This record gives sequence, structure tokens and C-alpha cells, in this order.
Amino acid sequence: MQNNPLSPHIQIYKWHISSLVSITTRITGIINTIVISLLCLWISSLLLGEETYKSVNYFLSSFIGKFFVIGIIWSFSFQMLSEIRHIIMDLGYGFDLKITKITGSIVIIGSFILTILIYLIGRNLI
Amino acid sequence: MVQINLPENSKIQKGKYFKDKTNSKNIRKVNIYRWDPSSGDKPRIDTYEVDMDNCPSKVLDILNKIKNEIDPTITYRRSCAHGVCGSCAMNMGGKNGLACTTPHSEIKGDINIYPLPHLKVKKDLIGDLDGLYKQYKSIEPWLKNKSISESKEIHQSQKDRSKLDGAYECIMCACCSTSCPSYWWNGDKYLGPAVLLQAYRWIVDSRDEERKKRLEKVADELKLYRCHTIMNCTNACPKGLNPAKAIAEIKKMLATT
Repeated sequence: MQNNPLSPHIQIYKWHISSLVSITTRITGIINTIVISLLCLWISSLLLGEETYKSVNYFLSSFIGKFFVIGIIWSFSFQMLSEIRHIIMDLGYGFDLKITKITGSIVIIGSFILTILIYLIGRNLI
Repeated sequence: MVQINLPENSKIQKGKYFKDKTNSKNIRKVNIYRWDPSSGDKPRIDTYEVDMDNCPSKVLDILNKIKNEIDPTITYRRSCAHGVCGSCAMNMGGKNGLACTTPHSEIKGDINIYPLPHLKVKKDLIGDLDGLYKQYKSIEPWLKNKSISESKEIHQSQKDRSKLDGAYECIMCACCSTSCPSYWWNGDKYLGPAVLLQAYRWIVDSRDEERKKRLEKVADELKLYRCHTIMNCTNACPKGLNPAKAIAEIKKMLATT
């Protein structure tokens, strides 16, 4: 059996909402852990004095910086909603195929809505 | 470990093209994974033009038609042809299922047929399921009851019997296990949805006396907790069962007892 080929797997398997949500949760989870360490750096830049804090702030208010921040907000929103879905699943509910589709769509759409809401609240627009 | 790319000897190449000879106007292209152990070549995709006017409704009918009329060398498992034996489990249109119960009208575009994902291929559409059967054996799928003698009937209430619904119907076709990404990456340790559904079936059986032992045996970081509710298993099950829910129930039982 050593030389037998391996049949194709992820290359050919069809994606659906639940598998998409699952892989995105993993990716956002990794992003979030990195981002938390960056947040710590941001806070410690306060200790290093005005100059460093200003330069970090300058970066965050630039176009790329804003893109970064909004991406981070989305990643946190997605993770949060997806984990709520997971808690419900750990309690043994929501395993029906239709319901997983609905909750999965809620997570995807909700993450974008939450991102917009948090951004607007953060800018004092609502 | 996670390995996205296929190993070098499994890279798929372009195969032969079988042109339609019946001059039919209703033609569909069927792409089938082929690998011949005696040739030493890499796997290839052969394309067949199939006359759909004279073909019954299921994917297995297409395969039979190709084997009977176009190319007799194609190899696949089949037996009952009505979704009871589980022999003809394969990947059709990117989704696992039984060829005998999957209508080809459900698949859009060309019909792509592969063996069950992430298995060692024995020939063409036949994957090697030995690992899965070994794992099935490891959960000891038989009734263990010492206190009541073997000559006596063991009674079960209707309520207790109904707990087995949704678990005993499993035909062990392996559609679910081979659809699971966790099982792809950790198939040697993680038991996979099919075997865990069977483990659940024996854990909840009121006649079985080793419930606790069974639970302890399955409570393992790798054996059980590699399930991340991706839901590919429930999506793939041709019998409409829910292995993901069964795994969640086992996790719940472990957390509450």
C-alpha cells in the first residue's frame, strides 16, 4: 500500500456555509492572538513617551492603518459570533442541517453588521 | 498533520477522452478518477461522453453504462443499488454520497467522480478503508452484558429504544468520515464521525452495562475532541443521520457525568 496514491481531498471537496465558518473561525482566531500582542505593544508605546505614541497613532490614522483597524474589528466580531454559535452547539442544540445553515449565515452577515456598528460607535457617529 | 497538497505520486494527470459514438444530442461529460496499480503511472482523469437519453436517473447508472458500453476497465464497488449496503460510496460533484441514491440531475455541469477523499487508492474509485474498520473494531461494537444470562431476553422500554433512532441506521459507508477535514489530517488517531456515531450507539443502549468504560475509552483529546463541528459529516450522510450531533452528545455526557 506504500506506493498507492492518496485520493484528492480538500482540492475537490465542495465548500458549504458551516465549513466556511469553521475555517474562518480558525483564521480569525490566529489573527486575534497576534493582534492582542500588537495591542500590548500599542499600550506599552504609551510608556515610552509621547513621540512613540504619536508615531503609532500616525500609522493607525493613515489609510493602511484604518484598513488594519477595520479588519481587526471584523476579525473580532466574526470570532465572537462564531464562538456564541459554538457554545450553543456545545449545549447540544442547532445541529439540524437547516439550522446550521441559518446560524452560519447569521455569523457571516452579522460579523459585517457588527463591524460597521462598532466603527460608527467608535467614531461617535451614532 | 495538515497537508494541503497531494504527495508527488498522487498528482492527477489528464487522461483519455472517450467520444460519444451514439450520435446522441443529449450528452453529458463525465470525468472519472482512474488509477491502475499495475501500470505504475500517476492517477489520471478520464472523460467520457455519455448519452443521457438512454440512461436512468442515478450516478451509479452512469457508471454501469460506461462499464457496459464504453470502457469495461473502470473499477468501482457496488452491490445493492438502493442505498442499503454502502458499497458505492464515492465523491460526486464535490460531495460524498452513495452513487446509487444520488441523482445526476442534482449535479450541475460536468459530472466529476472521485474516490472517497484522503484514502489510499486501491484501484480507480476504490479507496482503502482498513484503517476505519480497525477503528470500528477498537470501540468494541457489540453488546456487553454480564448480569443477565445469555438465555434470557433483555427488556428495553420504548423510550430507551427510541434513543437508538438515528444511530442504528448507519450502514458504515464511510461517506461522513472521509468528508471530515479533521479526519483527513488526523485519521490515524481521531476516530471520525462514522465510528463515533457507532460508539454513541453503544453508549446510549440501555441494555449495555459498560457505558462508563466505553465513555472513558473514547474520552481522549485526539480520539474525540478533534471534532470542530465543521458539519461536513452530517452534510454528506446519505442516510440523513447526524454524526455531528452524536459526537456533541458524547462530549456533553463526558462533561456532565
